[in-house]
Order: sequence, then C-alpha cells, then structure tokens
Amino acid sequence: MSADKKAPSWAKMQEWFVGKGTAGDGLAQSPSSINGKESSVGPETPPEPITGQRSTYQTFLENASRTMIRFKKPEHLIKMIVKTIDEQLRVTHTAVLLYKENKKSYVLIDSKGSDGLKIPIGFVRLAVDNPLISIFSQKQSYFISETGILRYEDLIISLRSRDVLEKQPQLYDNILLIKKQMDLMRASICVPCYFKRELFGILVLGEKISGEPFTREEMGFFMTLANNAAMAIANAQLIENLHQKVEEIKDLYLKEHSIFIHTAIALAAAIDARDAYTHGHTERVTSYSLAIAKELHGLPEIAEYSNFRETLQIAALLHDIGKIGIPDRLLNKHNKLTPEEYEEIKMHSIIGATILSPIRELRDVSREVRAHQECYDGSGYPDGLKGNDIPLVARIIGVADAFDAMTTNRAYRKERSIEDALEELKRCSGTQFDPVIVGAFLLAFEKGNISTVAKQKHFNDMDDGS
Amino acid sequence: MHKILVVDDESDICDFVKNFFQERGYEVLIALSGEDAIELSRKESPELILLDIKMKGMDGLAALKHLREINKKQKVIMVTATEDQNKMDEASRQGAADYILKPLMLDYLENAVERNLGEDI
Repeated sequence: MSADKKAPSWAKMQEWFVGKGTAGDGLAQSPSSINGKESSVGPETPPEPITGQRSTYQTFLENASRTMIRFKKPEHLIKMIVKTIDEQLRVTHTAVLLYKENKKSYVLIDSKGSDGLKIPIGFVRLAVDNPLISIFSQKQSYFISETGILRYEDLIISLRSRDVLEKQPQLYDNILLIKKQMDLMRASICVPCYFKRELFGILVLGEKISGEPFTREEMGFFMTLANNAAMAIANAQLIENLHQKVEEIKDLYLKEHSIFIHTAIALAAAIDARDAYTHGHTERVTSYSLAIAKELHGLPEIAEYSNFRETLQIAALLHDIGKIGIPDRLLNKHNKLTPEEYEEIKMHSIIGATILSPIRELRDVSREVRAHQECYDGSGYPDGLKGNDIPLVARIIGVADAFDAMTTNRAYRKERSIEDALEELKRCSGTQFDPVIVGAFLLAFEKGNISTVAKQKHFNDMDDGS
Repeated sequence: MHKILVVDDESDICDFVKNFFQERGYEVLIALSGEDAIELSRKESPELILLDIKMKGMDGLAALKHLREINKKQKVIMVTATEDQNKMDEASRQGAADYILKPLMLDYLENAVERNLGEDI
C-alpha cells in the first residue's frame, strides 16, 4: 500500500468538509452562523434516504457532511445523526455517548428506538475505565475487527476459538467483560468516534429490525459518519470556545479601558489642582466637548477616527497636560503676561503632545492636544494650521476651552457673563473658531446640554441681580 | 421470580428499566407517580422498589415515607440525578436501602438490585 493510495480518501473527506463547489457553502456560511441563527437545515431535515448501494452512501455522506458543518451546537448535530441513522438503517435502537469532562464519563446524550429498548437520555453513563471504553480509547479494537468497529457477532466468534483464548486468558476475560457491557445496552455494534486520536464518543446501535447483519458498506459508512461527526463536533466546540474567548477579551478591554479613562481623569485632576483659578476646567471642557459632539452626529470627518468619542473624551481630559511643564509663577500670575512669558505659556500644547506621543494608544490624542490652540483662520499656535487642517477634535476642544475660559475667573481677568461669551463665540465664528463647531455649541446650549458651573453661575448672578 | 417495582415519572425510563430487568428474569411493575407506586405496593407487594426522587406531584421522599409505612420488608433504592446530600441523608433516615446516581452505569444498576435482593435470601 503506497501513501498515495491513502491520500485520495482523505482528500475526499476534506472535500466533503471544505469542499468543491456547493460544499464550500457550508464553510462560507459558518461565520454568519457564529453570530446569527443556525442555517435552515436543522435536525428535522436529515439528508435524503439511502438505498444501500455504494454510490448512494457516498451521496448521502456528502450531504450529511455539508449539513453537519452548519450546526452551531454539537447537541443538534448529534440529534441529526441519531435521527438519520434511525430513519435510514431501521435498527431497534440507537444511542450516542459523548465524553463529559465534569462527569469523567461517557454520557448518553441522545437515543432513539422502540419502547423499552430506547435507552433514556441522560440515564446511562460509561466510566472511562469501562472495558467498552478502554478497548476504544486504547485502540485495541483492531484485534476484534479491522474496521475499528466493534461487532457483537465478532465477539461471539472470538469466544468460540477456545484454543487461542486459552493461551491468552487476559484477552478472554476482557472479551467477556466487553460482551457483558454490550449485553447491558443490547448493542449489536459500537462505532468509536475519534478526534485527534482522542476517543470523543461512541455510537451504539441495536440490531437491524430485519434481523440481517450489517454489511461492509454500512460499516464503512458508520466509520466515515463518525469521523465527520467528530470533526464537526470539534469545530462546533472550537467556535464555542472562540465565543468565550471573544467575550473574555471584550471584558478585558472594558476593564482596561475604564482604567485608562480613570488614569486620564486623575491626570486631568492633577493639572487642575495646580491652578486654583482653573478648578474644574478640564472636567467642564470635556463635558462641553461631548455635548458639542452630540450635535455633530453624522459629520463625515467623524468616520476618519477609529473611535471618535473616546479620542474626544481623552483629548479633552488631557488637553492641558502640557501645563505640567509651565512654572507656577506664570500659571498663577495676576498681572498681564510679558510677550516672553506668553511664548512660554504657548509651549504647553507642544509639551502636552510630547508627553503623550510615546504612548502608542494615544497617538491620535497627542495630535489633538498639540492642535487645540490652533485657530480656524490660521492665526493659532503652534503650527498655524488652518480650517479643516486642524483636526476635528482639536477644533471642538478649542471652542469648549474658550467658552470655559471666558465664563470663569482667570488669574489675569474677571469672567464675562454667559451672554457675552456666546456673543464672543459668534463674533469669532469663522476666524478663531470653526463655524460648524460654534453652531453645534449654540445648539447644545439651547437644548440645555451646556450646563455645569457656567449655568450655575449664570443663575447665581441672576439671583444676585434681583 | 423476584418482583420489583420501578417508579419514575418519565415513561422512557420506566419502559427501559422494565425491559432491562425482564430480560434478566424479573417480574417488573411500573408506576409513573408516587400515588400509583403506593397503590401497587399495597396490591402487589414487590420485594424491591426503584424510586426516583424528583417527580412531579408527590416526590420520591414523600412516597418513600408512605411505602415504608405499608411494608418495612420492601427494599427501596432511590434513583436520583441530584447530588444533594441532604436529600440522600433524609432518604437514608426514612429507611431507603440504597441509592443510585443518574446518569448511572447499567452494571451498577443490575448489581444494586441483585445485592439488595440477595441480602434477604
């Protein structure tokens, strides 16, 4: 026997699975079946009946394999197999035992058959050291049948050859034990189901209702069916495991993400704490920025960000992080800054971007922090970017930042009223600010989404006035 | 011929166990509820009862109590999928002779019945 001789049958099996032509449909559909419902081919529709001719078995197997690959849940697949065998082969009863890790046993998970012969589902198990299991798991079945299938009649024949058995008393005992196990289940044949050399399960069949013995073709058919089923079950389990892994990764991402945001918030608080006048500034800028973003829903530029909202939130939280590098005497100076001092203050957007740039996950954010002091007409700093060359997030933060600066006390000047600040935004729309962003801000303001301290102060001022 | 009674609210299980023990030369009665089991126990006086703990209506433990009142000589083997030790202890206090966990090994089922019948003989 050359290796080539073996190759075609393996290739054939592969073909059934990953297949030529329509067989490929099975695979093509598997991704959708991961998320969606199972294909319409359910346990209720086993492949077309077979007549017992070799070619029909082949056709049947091809159909069965194609059907198998579509099952998302192994139990459904098992049910289909059991139902198919029951319908196609007319046997007294059929049962499938599958290995269950938690029970350390092979447990009967599906069965069919006439009253009294049908073994109730979940009622029976075989321990791993059961002789009927170990003969398969230790691959000793060959000494009984070359196909690997255990036939009751072969056992009976073996027991007749006394002269052989007398020399091997252990074998004799073992055959008796196996016979006893088959008697218990009234099994006529047992078909092992392997995957990667491990015994996955056993298919147990009673006698044919006709009383005739199983044919060679039928035995071959069982083996192929068992192998295909093992592969399909293993696939289904892999998909199930994959699902679990995806969920775990999602969880992990959410956890990490929350740590990330909280770190950003902590950093932002540290920045705010240095400057008594800007207390709560970052928090408000972030809240205003998110309120503006809500009004920009559907803007094409948003699609350019892999995660727009997150980039905006983190960039807003960290936009002033560069102030870490600015001396306190400048930050808290009451008098007007000298041109040199102003130049030094202006460095904070570059410093901020430099601090963030080594963090790969924050590359987007770093770019926005650098640009948050740019002006729409190109008069801003540090790069003098103009119009839509200024990234969207930076333009949003620019408006939010300016509004908060105008409506809170600063070291160098008193706050303006909210009306003044809104007027100023409108006045500078198209020059300092992107008109689209200003429009969005005004809309958010009208809707009452720009609340926090500014509005609080507004109301307080009105109270004071009355 | 030993007479045994199988009590389970799943008819599949009753049919299978009946068939299983009939083939092994027993006379087998079946009851699909605790109430039926009590009635059959009175009328037929089986030597041994295989009694499922979890059943709709009267459960195995309640049935056990009645069965023990009818005839203390009847051996009762509890069959259960639960590993609830409290229920096991309760069954044992009520006088159950043995118990078998589902899913079970058929030779174990056979042995448990033989063993419990054997002790009396």
